[in-house]
Amino acid sequence: MTKHDPDAIAHIHEELHSHLPSEPALRVKALESLLVEKGLLDSSAVDAWIDVYSEEIGPKTGARIVARAWVDPDFKARLLDDAKAALKELDLDGNHLKAVENTDTIHNLVVCTLCSCYPLWLLGIPPNWYKTAAYRSRAVRDPRGVLEEFGVALADDIPIRVWDSTAELRYLVVPQRPQGTEDWDEKRLAKLVTRNSMIGTERDLSRHIAEAR
Amino acid sequence: MDGIHDLGGRQGFGPVDVHEPEEPFHAPWEGRVLGMVRAMTRPTDWNIDWFRNCRELIEPVDYLTRPYYDQWLQAYAAMLANSGFATVEELASGKATSRPDGLPTPMSAADVTKAKQAPRNFQREIDRAPAFAPGDTVRAISHGNAGHTRLPAYARGRRGWIESYHGAHVFPDASARGDERAEPLYTVGFAATELWPDARGGQDHVFLDLWESYLERI
Repeated sequence: MTKHDPDAIAHIHEELHSHLPSEPALRVKALESLLVEKGLLDSSAVDAWIDVYSEEIGPKTGARIVARAWVDPDFKARLLDDAKAALKELDLDGNHLKAVENTDTIHNLVVCTLCSCYPLWLLGIPPNWYKTAAYRSRAVRDPRGVLEEFGVALADDIPIRVWDSTAELRYLVVPQRPQGTEDWDEKRLAKLVTRNSMIGTERDLSRHIAEAR
Repeated sequence: MDGIHDLGGRQGFGPVDVHEPEEPFHAPWEGRVLGMVRAMTRPTDWNIDWFRNCRELIEPVDYLTRPYYDQWLQAYAAMLANSGFATVEELASGKATSRPDGLPTPMSAADVTKAKQAPRNFQREIDRAPAFAPGDTVRAISHGNAGHTRLPAYARGRRGWIESYHGAHVFPDASARGDERAEPLYTVGFAATELWPDARGGQDHVFLDLWESYLERI
């Protein structure tokens, strides 16, 4: 039985701080050896998970959703209204997902100020900046400044909606489809959709048109 | 808790480093931490909220300076020690002096295929109606829970409106103490200028997902 006691954890953190090896790689090695020796871990399962996160899960899943929304307005309407039902059509899990759409008059930005909540199963491992104190502290208070650092010049009259992921809901930004892609098929459109555009730190995807041809 | 993790609106952290490698892991050990966390046998009374609480309790200097997955390692090491699965000495040396009894065989590589498809669901049925409806004006309570809580300091005491209702979700403040119960969950909108009078975008809004007991009617 676990005693869910924050004071006990704070005390253990102090002890760990003093006793664990100083290098992260050594701390990790010690933990893995220990868990294997205790019969709590099979290292081949760790390898398998690393493959899953490195090879299988990534922003291409989110890009597929966005491309479908661009070519199928009815799907987009369903996605924005009930992402769970819409993603079922693509054989994807959309439970607790909220899709929010960028338009000419709205920009959306996603953050988790309290930890690192992120739609990992659709976008892969979050970028390091998403987990930094700089992004977490400023995305809610100075979103325009943050966007400028990402090279997004947002007109003052376009309101920003910042979504702070404080519960188990996860947010997916549906960026705007760039002009000049009217005759593109879904697969090609998906190549335009960047990870950052689905977090909201990129807005205009037209600069990727040349590379997606 | 008013911990170092509650970063929304804090100042002085400087620009965001927007240039970083695209690779999911920046060192091999980062992937191994994530893989271990997914694969290890754990006490059945751990949950996501207890983990978040244990991460929040990392010493502030470590919280702000250690790489992300190193913080995960630190949190899980503390949880293992707290639950009696390992001692601090064992965690430091990597050598076991005892083995927990009666635990199942750990997850194998073959099990990962199934585990990765396990759906996540935090919604629960409860036998009472939500107190608020979309459009209602609300105020976030002024004092957060002393333990784990998901009401950020920057929203406390601020006035917003119910944007949408999501049914009842597991309540983190209780769940982090090992007590699973559910409460109505809402997305609550706040004007940026209500949160920060000096906000640059006068029409900007910040939305948070907040449980019913974090809110009061006004």
